[in-house]
This record gives sequence, C-alpha cells and structure tokens, in this order.
Amino acid sequence: MDHEAIGRLFRAAAAGDAAAWKSFVEALSPLVWSVVRAHGLPEADAGEVYQTTWFRLAQNLGRIREPEKVSTWLATTARNEALKAIRARRRLVPGDEDAFERVADERTPEAAVIEAEEEAAAAERDRRLWQAFQELGAKCRRLLRILIGSPPHSYQEAAAALGLSVGSIGPMRQRCLRQLRLLLAERGMG
Amino acid sequence: MDEDLSQDDLLEAELRRAAAVLDPVPAHLVRAAVEAFALRGLEAELAELTFDSLEEAAAVRSGYGTRLLTFAVAGRTVDVELSGGEWPGGEGVRLLGGVHPAEPAEVVVEGPLGSLAVRADELGRFSAEGVPLGPFSLRVRFSDAVVATEWITV
Repeated sequence: MDHEAIGRLFRAAAAGDAAAWKSFVEALSPLVWSVVRAHGLPEADAGEVYQTTWFRLAQNLGRIREPEKVSTWLATTARNEALKAIRARRRLVPGDEDAFERVADERTPEAAVIEAEEEAAAAERDRRLWQAFQELGAKCRRLLRILIGSPPHSYQEAAAALGLSVGSIGPMRQRCLRQLRLLLAERGMG
Repeated sequence: MDEDLSQDDLLEAELRRAAAVLDPVPAHLVRAAVEAFALRGLEAELAELTFDSLEEAAAVRSGYGTRLLTFAVAGRTVDVELSGGEWPGGEGVRLLGGVHPAEPAEVVVEGPLGSLAVRADELGRFSAEGVPLGPFSLRVRFSDAVVATEWITV
C-alpha cells in the first residue's frame, strides 16, 4: 500500500470511519511491530509498546498535522517508547529467540508428514533465511527488520525509527543485504 | 548495478515473507489496536507529556526505580510519580499524583486490562497501588472539564 492510500485511510478514520481505521491498523501494524522488535524488545514488552503507540495515535487522530506522514509519526513514536522501555527495564533479547521457539514447535513429525513437499521446502528456506538474518551485525539486523515491516521502497519510516537521515538508508540497505547474501552463500543457500 | 538492485529487492521480499511467517504481529495485538478507535476521546482534552524523568540522559537504573512525569493542558498540570515494581513486576507499581491548580477530582487510571478509580482530595493529591505495567493513561474529571493524559508505557 502506498503513502497516498495510507493517507486516504487515515483521513477517513480521523473523520470517524471505523472501517477505515481497521484497514489502516492492519496496513501499518507490521511497521510498528518491526520497529519495536528491531529494538530488541521481547514479545511482552514489544506488545505493550505496540499498544501504547496505537492508543496514542487514536488520542491524536484529530491533531496529526500531516496525514501523509503518519507512518513516520508511528515509527518515531514506536522508537521513542521502545527506547524508554529499554531504559526502564533493560530486557533485551540478543537474537530473535521467540521466533526460534515458534519454528521448533511447528516441526513435529506429524506436521512434516502432513505438509506438502513444496510447503515444507518453503518453510525450511524461510527458517534458514531467518537464522542467517540473526547472524547479521546488530545495526544491519535492526535496519533490515524495520525495512521489511515498512511500505516497500520507502525509507522515511526506517529513518525515523532509527534516528538517521533518509539518505543514509539506501546505501546501508545495500550493504546489509550484501552481507546477508554472503551469509546465505556460506550456508550453501545462494 | 541494475542486476544487484533487483537481487536486493528479491532478497528483501523473501525476508519480508519470512518475517510475516516467523515474527508476525500477534493477532490479539492487532485487535487491541483496532478497538483503540474508541479511545479517540471526543469529550476529553488531551494532556501532553511535558516531562519524563526517563528521558534524562544521566538516568542509570536497575529494576524500576522512580519515574517522574508531568502532563499539561490548558493551564492545568498532572504530576505523577511511579515507583516500586519489583521486576518482573507481578505486583505492579505505586502511583502518587497531584493536580495543579489543586482541586478535588475523580481520577481513573486506565490500561488495556481495566481501569481503577481513585479521588484527588482538595489539595489535588491522589494515589493508587498495583498499577499494572504496560499502556497507561489517566482520565481526570474536574468540575468544568475532562482531561485525558497521553498514553505512555509504564
């Protein structure tokens, strides 16, 4: 979904359209979630910061000055709340341990039999890609985690979420994806 | 270089899909955000967070410590002190609050799990125990206005 469509949904929600709000939340939830997860918050804390971010947007529905930039507002708010949560409680996960546990739960013998071969291969590739991703340095991991939750080809959200200039995001992304490709090549995944 | 760019786009798309499978937004959280539409607070004035001790650069904490907050709107402020809360916070935190200028008021401590009603006395003081960690807002009913503080994460 592009920024225009997002802006339209948001304006409709601000005018009182509950269905528009629902679509808007569904479209931008991955962004908010990716920002909190990129800051290393485990699921419970990430959930709380995610909720605070959305509740605050709801309070401010009539006050957002630039509806086209609401995705940046969300990224900035999620970042600020995540940083405060880290300072207040210092609970961080070094890697994405929750995701590892979830994948391990799914890999029962029964599940492997039931899954079609294609699905199993795709799930396996996702899992190994995600594992390689965890081996990236912290900065690359953080950047890519936010980019993959943002609207495609849009860097302003990541810039806001990381406190960096928009111009620095493209080159960093290129470098980090190159790193990831190297890690995948080492694992024979090309 | 174009070849590299489309490789980048492909890899990012695969990673995007892996994240959607392995670290999706929990469904109950999306529902909570959708239901938050009801929080747009049509009748309440919004008191913004104007001070948060957690933003002080020198803050060094272990566990929860004490956090000072100030919310302000239209000539009124609500000061909040949050303390206690043994980590991992089964007991919640203790709240001491004050409204300025001082006047009695009804104060509702709101969070996603429910709300807790307390009263501010004639000196504007109020308190609460066991405030759960997570999203937090105060709804203060004065004689002439209702004020809601900006949501924060306790």
